[in-house]
Amino acid sequence: MASITIEIDGNIVNAKAGERLITITDREGISVPRFCYHKKLSVSTSCRMCLVDIEGVTKPQTACSTPVSDGMKIHTQNEKAKASQKAVMEFLLINHPLDCPICDQGGECELQDVAVEYGSDVSRFSEGKRVVAPSDIGPLIQTDMTRCIHCTRCVRFGSEIAGIMEMGGTGRGEDLKIEPFLAEGITSELSGNMIDVCPVGALTSKPFRYELRSWQMASADSVARHDLVGSNLYAQTYKGLVKRVVSGDNELVNETWISDRDRFSYEGLAHENRLLLPQIKVEGQWKEVEWNVALDFAIKGLNKNALNSRKAHKLGGLASSTATTEEFYLMQKMLREIGCENIDYRLNVNNLDDPIHLDSNIKLSDLECVDNVLVIGANLRLEQPMINLRLRKAQLAGASVSALNVKAFDYNHKTNHSTVSPNEIATILAGALKVILEKNSLEAPSYITNINPSELSINLADKLLDSERSVIVLGEHVINNTQAASIAQMVAEIAKQVNGKTLNLTSSANTLGAQYAHFLPKSKGMNTNEMLAADMSAFLLLDIYPEYDFHHSNSAVEALSKDDVFVVSLNSFNNELVAQYSDVLLPMAAMYETSGSHVNINHDMQSFAAAVKAPEEAKPAWKILKVIADLLELPGFHYENVTQVSEELKHQKIYEHKQDITIDLGKKSSAIETIWMHSAYHSDALLRHAKSLSSSKIGQTNSASMNTATAKELSLECGNTYLGVPVVVSDTVADRCVFVSSNQSTDMGRES
Amino acid sequence: MNEVCFKNIDKDQCWSLETYEASGGYSTWRKILKGEYTPDEIINELKTSGLRGRGGAGFPTGLKWSFMPRNAQGQKYVICNSDEGEPGTCKDRDILRFNPHSVIEGMAIGSFVMNATIGYNYIRGEFMEPFNRFEGALKEAYAAGLLGKNINASEVSFDLYSHLGAGAYIVGEETALLESLEGKKGQPRFKPPFPANVGLYGKPTTINNTESFASVPEIMSKGGQWFADLGVENSGGTKLFSVSGHVNNPANFEVSMGMPFSELLELAGGMRNGAKLKAVIPGGSSTPVLTAEVAMGMTMDYDGIEKAGSMLGAGSVIIMDESTCMVKALTRLAHFYYDESCGQCTPCREGTGWLYRVLKRIMDGKGKAEDIDLLMSVQEKIMGNTICALGDAAAMPVESFLRNFREEFEYYIEHGKSMVEK
Ligand SMILES: Cc1cc2nc3c(=O)[nH]c(=O)nc-3n(C[C@H](O)[C@H](O)[C@H](O)COP(=O)(O)O)c2cc1C
Ligand code: SF4
Ligand code: SF4
Ligand code: FES
Repeated sequence: MASITIEIDGNIVNAKAGERLITITDREGISVPRFCYHKKLSVSTSCRMCLVDIEGVTKPQTACSTPVSDGMKIHTQNEKAKASQKAVMEFLLINHPLDCPICDQGGECELQDVAVEYGSDVSRFSEGKRVVAPSDIGPLIQTDMTRCIHCTRCVRFGSEIAGIMEMGGTGRGEDLKIEPFLAEGITSELSGNMIDVCPVGALTSKPFRYELRSWQMASADSVARHDLVGSNLYAQTYKGLVKRVVSGDNELVNETWISDRDRFSYEGLAHENRLLLPQIKVEGQWKEVEWNVALDFAIKGLNKNALNSRKAHKLGGLASSTATTEEFYLMQKMLREIGCENIDYRLNVNNLDDPIHLDSNIKLSDLECVDNVLVIGANLRLEQPMINLRLRKAQLAGASVSALNVKAFDYNHKTNHSTVSPNEIATILAGALKVILEKNSLEAPSYITNINPSELSINLADKLLDSERSVIVLGEHVINNTQAASIAQMVAEIAKQVNGKTLNLTSSANTLGAQYAHFLPKSKGMNTNEMLAADMSAFLLLDIYPEYDFHHSNSAVEALSKDDVFVVSLNSFNNELVAQYSDVLLPMAAMYETSGSHVNINHDMQSFAAAVKAPEEAKPAWKILKVIADLLELPGFHYENVTQVSEELKHQKIYEHKQDITIDLGKKSSAIETIWMHSAYHSDALLRHAKSLSSSKIGQTNSASMNTATAKELSLECGNTYLGVPVVVSDTVADRCVFVSSNQSTDMGRES
Repeated sequence: MNEVCFKNIDKDQCWSLETYEASGGYSTWRKILKGEYTPDEIINELKTSGLRGRGGAGFPTGLKWSFMPRNAQGQKYVICNSDEGEPGTCKDRDILRFNPHSVIEGMAIGSFVMNATIGYNYIRGEFMEPFNRFEGALKEAYAAGLLGKNINASEVSFDLYSHLGAGAYIVGEETALLESLEGKKGQPRFKPPFPANVGLYGKPTTINNTESFASVPEIMSKGGQWFADLGVENSGGTKLFSVSGHVNNPANFEVSMGMPFSELLELAGGMRNGAKLKAVIPGGSSTPVLTAEVAMGMTMDYDGIEKAGSMLGAGSVIIMDESTCMVKALTRLAHFYYDESCGQCTPCREGTGWLYRVLKRIMDGKGKAEDIDLLMSVQEKIMGNTICALGDAAAMPVESFLRNFREEFEYYIEHGKSMVEK
């Protein structure tokens, strides 16, 4: 765009031809009032608040839509502009309740702010005001539609960003109502952003309703830790409690949006199941004790069972992938210092002998620029809402999206779904690889010489070959695929052949942090499954909840519950199974209560400080670990704050336990394939305790989907359960497969 | 009289293809199919004719057609606006009923000029009979090989479809019409971009009124100059005036532009019961009302009506005699705009309701002295501040009624009853 100069309120300003006026005034710090304009949404020009006077144009023009041209002379404050702005303000207020003191948006209302400057003190409107009947749109968003100013930001957010137009305008004129089209209300995984974009008190946070005024709260920069995006957000706090979470801005990470999961999980912090006091088990009875007593008890137990008797190799350390990088680092440092190499965060992987190795080598912000996407094994919208949001943008800009999934999931963008059994994925990829290698005139490795590429393989290969910027996305559903490692290997090879990128979503939360912290067994150590199978004498566990975290929870609990195994558990929530096998319970701080860092998929180590203090006796896990190390008299733990830990680990290279994989396409199971996923709002402990999320439609998801033939084979029908989960018969599922999405605890070993 | 759109109106089965062709219909289109015209020749002829858009704004049609990026890649569309919803207007309905082929040919000619191979005629939802007539004519035209792909083995293709609206006045606004045609809620878009660049489905699109299209074939066969000479300077040709209200013979009249209003009134049979003329809305409810005195001195053309203080609009002449209560009339009009506002933009959504409620309150005998100033101020604040012209259309009657008949409003407020109605 050509550089031009324009004049705004008498000042010369540089701009690009065709830029919208409001972008320029915003850049220059010239205030132009607005309600419908939002920098991330399409222009609607409906509120008319941004009217300005342009010389030579009779009617006032909207700054949010007007493209500038060279020499344009604009007045944002002259009589004509002001008259229009004041007129619009008056119109907006005639039907708007003037009871700001009882409105939940009071103090952070754009209408209130602008009214102070542009409104008049007396209302000339003496007719009856419009009242809009309230509607219940779900447990997350409170509506008060009498306050709606019809700016349509929420509507545009739905159709343009969330990808489902759940809110819409019905009726016309004064009867225009912004409301959900469907009675089930708002169900989008990104719905909370409507609260942020709504300029007034029409859409507010339901869990936060009538709690506090915005100015009463302090606001802390923070980072979400439920997925590997690490969305930036603000935790708003009052008297030591997180009261609300709103989105932060970071173009490289989450732009200006956050998922509902990140927004509402804080509710779990105040759950009555929080573990608040240290406890020790004496003769089978739990006793609440002082910290020093509990720690002493823990050290004695560890010494007795593992250290004194040179049995460090019989000690195991396991941690949840939601831990901070610093927690991972301190825990492994401590364990290694005492000679223990049994360290792992991979709890739910059935086969750790051939683990998945796949780099993520594309940045989040580049995802929207790809021209071809192949998704393998992911229900993107629910599992990775922020990543799906970027991929959706790519699709809308013309990228082709193909998906190999066990079920034709509801993506909110155009996708070529191929429903395939997990069994077939490796062969499909091998076929595609063969086609690609042939096109590139390269010799095919022996494992694919006998493959006869299917039409689907050829199709996928052609798309990959025809595209310049492909990305292959490997999702969480493949982690327990019998050919998981081969699949990952072939994905890497295909991407290399077509100059594409890979995005590995097979792990969650701070998995990359764990890898940077080397929280993995190196050569001599045992992995999770080996530890659970071995004859162990002690465990140190960080925020683990077996019934959700382990692939086979029953056998895990059994292993941990053995009489002679001493278990020290750091947990943020109380839990029956944890209480069953633990000997010491140490209450730890949860998200927002601890400082540390999270490594996101861009490989950015994003640091955050605690927004609030942990409740009662709960302490940040990094401090607990440090004190345990001190009590064990280990050298090198003289940290005064968590930043010193971050500094120390910052220079570490990512640790990946690479090993050669022999691709074996023969390894198929003939059993009915089951993929078990926790519902999107049950994937970690904090989420599971967040009440509003749990009661939302996504949180309520609990189904084992299978097609008619599979149901018949299993002699099941709707109303029955499979692995304890209600059966849903749907022919969108691949043959002889079951896709479970559940809010219940899991045990994949359990008989159905 | 009746020289262009209504030229066959007295013939039997005047809407049939046979009647239309017998009087020279489709001759221009056939020439185009034979390659005997260039788009520029047609545009020049239209420019000479002085034809201005009959939908209300009066924008020169030839100029509008020349704005279409005819050589741009991709699909382009031509659309006829038969949504005719302006109170007082019923001319397009009769064109569709009595001369549907002129609309088809006019659109076809336009499609050729603008290189648009697809056309839609958006017909007002209540127009069942006109819709069926137009559909019948479309069938005839297709059967006669006048429409379709590579018509008569030429390079020219034109497929034309009709679409029935769902009963919203605002969809007559061209960009709301586009939204509706796309299957969305009928709400105006902001401009720029204009439809010529970003129109139906984002593609270049030209929208004209039914009467505008229907005038084109006759202009082409008789010549632009012939048409221009029918009218007066700045207002070429004839115009259909829908005369309604307190006259003896309310009807559509196709007459030369520039006809004195008094003559038009005579054509409509003069005042009903010999009553005295009180006021005239000359161009449809959205145009300012005029007093009898001013109206009687006005000529019926763009400049003539403008000089009188109003607008030709869609040519819908509403005649009011002395028995008319202007407070009641304005309240009725205000209700119309209040009811028909799409509600999208603030001044119109909130302002039309405010205007109506204040007027209603006056009618209910609860008026206050300051209400007249309030009404004036509210209409002023709507004027020019909205997305589409419906806002202005709602404001203008208020301003003109209050300016011309203020004493009636004052009387009503003071006495709680009408000055004229018993
Ligand atoms: C509220 C509103 C209603 C309108 N209704 C109609 C209508 O019913 N028919 C019509 O032809 N134009 C109507 N118009 C004008 C159209 O927007 C457009 O200008 C016209 O169709 C262009 O055709 P023309 O150039 O042939 O006049 C309306 C405009 C507004 C603002
Ligand atoms: S609910 Fe809020 S965001 Fe949605 S249209 Fe109304 S004011 Fe705008
Ligand atoms: S002026 Fe009225 S009808 Fe036109 S866009 Fe605005 S609200 Fe809708
Ligand atoms: S901000 Fe420009 S019209 Fe609403």
